[in-house]
Amino acid sequence: MPSMTEAVPLPWVLTLAGALFCVGLFGALSRRNTVGILLGIELMLNAVNINLVAFWRYLEPNVVAGQTFALFVITVAAAEAAIGLAMIIAIYRARQTVNADEVDSLRG
Amino acid sequence: MTDILRSWIGSALPDWLIVLIAYLIVTTIVLFYAVGNFILMVWAERRIVARMQDRLGPNRVGPAGLLQPIADAVKMFTKEDIVPRNADRWVHLLAPVVSLAPVAMMLAVIPWGRGWEPIDLNVALLYIVAVSAVSGVGLMMAGWGSNNKFALLGAMRAVAQLVSYEIPAVTALLTVVVLAGGMSLLNLPHLQAGVPIMGATILCNDPAGCSPLLYTTITSFPGSPNEPVQALDLGLGWWVFTPVGLLGFVVFFIAALAEGERTPFDIPEADSEIVAGYMTEYSGMKFATFYIAQYILNFALAALAATAFLGGWQGPGVAALANMGGPWVHAAAALSAFYLLAKIWILFFVMIWLRGAFPRLRVDQLMDFAWKLLLPLALVNILSASLMVSITQWTGAQWSGVVNLDGFASWQRQLIAVIVTAIINIAATYWILSINQRPAEQEWDEELVVAP
Amino acid sequence: MNTLITILFLVFAVFILVAAIMTVTVKNIVHAALWLISSFFGVGALYLLMEAEFLGVAQVLIYVGAVSILILFAIMLTRDLEGSQNRQLTPRWWIALLVPAALFGLLIVPTVMTHAWQLPPPPAGQPPSISGAQQIGTAFMREYLLPFEVAAILLLVAMIGAIVVAFEEREQRRRVLTLAEQVRLRRQRQQQVATLPEPAVSAVQPSEATGGET
Repeated sequence: MPSMTEAVPLPWVLTLAGALFCVGLFGALSRRNTVGILLGIELMLNAVNINLVAFWRYLEPNVVAGQTFALFVITVAAAEAAIGLAMIIAIYRARQTVNADEVDSLRG
Repeated sequence: MTDILRSWIGSALPDWLIVLIAYLIVTTIVLFYAVGNFILMVWAERRIVARMQDRLGPNRVGPAGLLQPIADAVKMFTKEDIVPRNADRWVHLLAPVVSLAPVAMMLAVIPWGRGWEPIDLNVALLYIVAVSAVSGVGLMMAGWGSNNKFALLGAMRAVAQLVSYEIPAVTALLTVVVLAGGMSLLNLPHLQAGVPIMGATILCNDPAGCSPLLYTTITSFPGSPNEPVQALDLGLGWWVFTPVGLLGFVVFFIAALAEGERTPFDIPEADSEIVAGYMTEYSGMKFATFYIAQYILNFALAALAATAFLGGWQGPGVAALANMGGPWVHAAAALSAFYLLAKIWILFFVMIWLRGAFPRLRVDQLMDFAWKLLLPLALVNILSASLMVSITQWTGAQWSGVVNLDGFASWQRQLIAVIVTAIINIAATYWILSINQRPAEQEWDEELVVAP
Repeated sequence: MNTLITILFLVFAVFILVAAIMTVTVKNIVHAALWLISSFFGVGALYLLMEAEFLGVAQVLIYVGAVSILILFAIMLTRDLEGSQNRQLTPRWWIALLVPAALFGLLIVPTVMTHAWQLPPPPAGQPPSISGAQQIGTAFMREYLLPFEVAAILLLVAMIGAIVVAFEEREQRRRVLTLAEQVRLRRQRQQQVATLPEPAVSAVQPSEATGGET
């Protein structure tokens, strides 16, 4: 039964994960809307997950640690998205804005 | 289907093309099956609800109004497609698609007959849950893309309802996962062979083997002894006849009513309250898509409830026909498909019945019902299911020497398990119901708290 | 069959990257969220291609079914009703473009392409056994029991924290503003900005002081 390990070389998958991470990094750094920044962070977490699953599949497919690690990353990402969005809502209530540039009362 | 096609045209085409064509044919058959049922369901609902409301229902178009859904379809096709001016065009367009596609995907893993499941995933139950969660995104897109405050509000309430009732539904399905030892839907009807309550535990005592018409050889029962045994099989060992399965079925069915937005949980589409909720700004074919999505979702959830708790395609005679071998296997498959369809239609009739009988729940009553009643019951049910599995299938070593049930026959273990879980389930149900009926506690009243 | 898998991988990869690039570049934040959901689907499909079925289904369930709805709710609760005339990129976006591009081109690609991955040789006869859902479940109950319980407590803490942070006392709860009130609020803000002394270094254009995205 042909599988992905024969059809697609590992560097390709890692390059995809790296590219996704860089796109997410660009989004997180350049967006003004705080929710937009959070979208970039979610992309980065997905890229990390692809990396983990690729390494699991290509190097040690019979050990379950790779998938477990990826599941924990998904769990933590969900928890962090929940709290981040709650904070965004709280900031919106206090300052009527979600523009990251305007929440600058600590700026020197 | 792949094998059938391979035997016919295997030499002419490359293998991957045969696989592709086979799956395309199976997909077409399943979709036609679902849409055919949808048409009948629309007719049945209108007639039955009408009779319950002491009126006749549509009876003009065709004999007994059977062509009424066709008339409805013609009307939907020819209606003007209105898009509000400031609405987000693409979101408004894609929302019905995102609502319907997951529902169609759910139909792919349900075993429609003995040997007739389109795909056998070993995470099938989780797949169904995941795919039903995606339709929530479609709802949000519909509410947002309509540029209408009421549609948005309706969408938010609908999503809150959907997400809240996913949890008791998934937890009730977790009971099935515990009982079956895996998440595959293919095995579930096979495991529900046997006799009511006792399942497949009444074994054949005759060393020469018993008649294959009444007794089935069980080899793949999780925890079954290593050599195949023959158990009395009337095709009725459905889990709904055990206390664990009964509570799980009730919880899952109520949660499925809420997932499918049927009365008494139909706040998202309550005409008298919020016009049509998230579907307000939709007309013509897009509205028809939402309508189809809702009915096929109910069909799929009824099929899932039937497979998980009511034995799926199991029924009297299926195993007997299958054990006779040869061409009778196809007769067994056809009989099993008929059984599953009958169960789905009985469940759908109960859904219509509830629609005719109950008023609608308020939003806060809805939330209370999910979180304070259904979820605790589902959690207690998982405890009972675990006890049931461990009593019937664990060896003494797995019990760590606490209890040793190895000496008992399998039917005795089953009986013990049924009694223990019945006690736990009845006690827990009574307790949780009585808690929920207490009046709400008083807020702390400052004046009443007096320092000594 | 190998070429089919390669083609599928390339299709998924292109889909994921296009969806990600659209996520970070479209102006309308709701569209960006919907593109993010598409990329989640793509990643889930990729997991299925890599034969991590439980993970693929869990990705769709958690990300598309829950996190996406959370993000959409948050967007809808924090809407600014002015429309999307504002640029959504910060003024120094070219640095934000340069750093990831440099990271990708100068660090990631050379490392990945030139490293000698010690891939195990393909097994002689039978395909390797791939750990599936059952092994994951067993591992969670045996070797990884403590992290599993800690993750459960983490989720509980996150849930409680989110409720506490976003909770609004009953007397402070605002109702939805009427159109007249919105117009009055907008005029007030413009007056405030107009009467403010201009700071020496200003990173924010005056017309965008009212900020926010739709």
